[in-house]
Amino acid sequence: MNFYITYFIIATGLFSFSALFALFGVYAERKVAAFIQDRLGPTETGKYGMLQTIADILKMLQKELIVPAAADKLLFMLAPAIIFIAVYLGFAALPWGPGLAPSKLNLGLYYIFAVLSIETLGILMAGWGSNNKYSILGAMRSAAQIISYEIPAGFAIISVVMIAQTLNLQDIASQQGILSPEGVKFAGFWDVSAIGGIFSWNIFRAPHLLIAFVIYFIASLAESNRAPFDIPEAESELVAGFHTEYTGLGFAFVFLAEYSMMFLVSMIAVVLFLGAWNTPLPNIGPVQLATWTTGAWWGILWIILKTLTLAGIQMWIRWTLPRLRVDKLMALSWKVLTPLAFLCMLISGIWRLWLM
Amino acid sequence: MSLVQALFYVMSFIALASAVYVATTTNLVRSIFMFFITLFALAGLYVLALADFVAITQIVIYVGGILVLILFAFMLSGKETLNAIGRERKTFISIGNLPALLLAALFLIVLVNMIFKVDADNLEWIKKSVALKNDIQPDAAMTENIGVNLMTTYLLPFEAISIILMVALIGAAHLSRKGDRS
Repeated sequence: MNFYITYFIIATGLFSFSALFALFGVYAERKVAAFIQDRLGPTETGKYGMLQTIADILKMLQKELIVPAAADKLLFMLAPAIIFIAVYLGFAALPWGPGLAPSKLNLGLYYIFAVLSIETLGILMAGWGSNNKYSILGAMRSAAQIISYEIPAGFAIISVVMIAQTLNLQDIASQQGILSPEGVKFAGFWDVSAIGGIFSWNIFRAPHLLIAFVIYFIASLAESNRAPFDIPEAESELVAGFHTEYTGLGFAFVFLAEYSMMFLVSMIAVVLFLGAWNTPLPNIGPVQLATWTTGAWWGILWIILKTLTLAGIQMWIRWTLPRLRVDKLMALSWKVLTPLAFLCMLISGIWRLWLM
Repeated sequence: MSLVQALFYVMSFIALASAVYVATTTNLVRSIFMFFITLFALAGLYVLALADFVAITQIVIYVGGILVLILFAFMLSGKETLNAIGRERKTFISIGNLPALLLAALFLIVLVNMIFKVDADNLEWIKKSVALKNDIQPDAAMTENIGVNLMTTYLLPFEAISIILMVALIGAAHLSRKGDRS
């Protein structure tokens, strides 16, 4: 029975981690926004306003849960939970370090891709359950956008999988460093199995994977409904989109889901393209930087650092770029990203057959 | 009763109960969301049957694709149309329900007949496969197996399906084009 207890501890740990990330993610977002817009951001609560989001969540927990009279009560109450659980389920398969993964699934990547598509359903549920025209419009925009951007994201992922030859995230991770069982080649010609570091990451294993990474990153912004793809909650037209009617805890769950989603998609990008828990420092002659900085604890440190960097870039993009119009957004997905992703998949096949 | 057995019964119950709700409720949107639970419970049953790839594919295609498309159609059609179904007379046996009842009853007879006739514990073909070592172990890599089989034994049906899907895709794109009205 002991391992069941371990499961529960790990599940609670992942939940508290995502909650903690959401808390400090909101704080970081405000500070980044303030920096980019040349303001100060939160300053009053605690030193540098660090306790601001904790105060916010305390306020939200005390708020009354208001259910609109015309809403479908069951769907309205269930939707935030489903949105969050869909994202939280994805954390189960992610590797955190060498030998450290909550679940060593053979189909880990495919599983994450599947559970993320449940989020769409939760958003539609929230939109329909609220019985409000802004909510429904927001939900439909969100669903249309997520379905469209799943296609380029999926093909960008497939082009990595074709190079890596496995859907197991832990295997994909260990292929990108000095622990690789089959050896790594930088851009297909320079053997870096012993050097490791940044040169053995997937984006450098084949040049087209760099393009696949950019495609995946753009698509992941759309999948987590972040600007410049945040038309589902465009506050200038739709009040707040699908979560217009939510107060208190429901609203908190929607926000928790959004920030967990940010972390999750960044972490998938890190695992697939940016070397997962492998160190960015290469071995240079007798200075064995890569060997020294590879290990379980180093792995956790590197993967969290890389993921936070990507999440930071997501925030930077959000406060820099304006929102895309609906038709431009669809045109970008179907006319630019999807053909490019197809091309990447094709090159991956050729690369694997003739160059590896 | 082991944990696997308990899980099997729990998930079967969820699947059956939600399926009954889907069929009987007059609230169409709720029935669709309930259908999502049915599909999820079915995916769990697939996992218990060691068909994890099928389970995840079920979620990707049905939950992520088909259910969302059905919901889209619903949301485009407006609330009044949807409420019309709730106003229908709710008598269990009526002349309109007769074909459906007949079909269901016949199907039930076939199923029951099948369950009594088949001897599930010692099926001929399973024994033969085990004897020939043509069976898949629980820890085997399923994805490779499926991929190799699709590309060798079942290549012709696979290609035929992909051509049909391609035709449907091009047809749909052609139908939704604006085209000049002249």
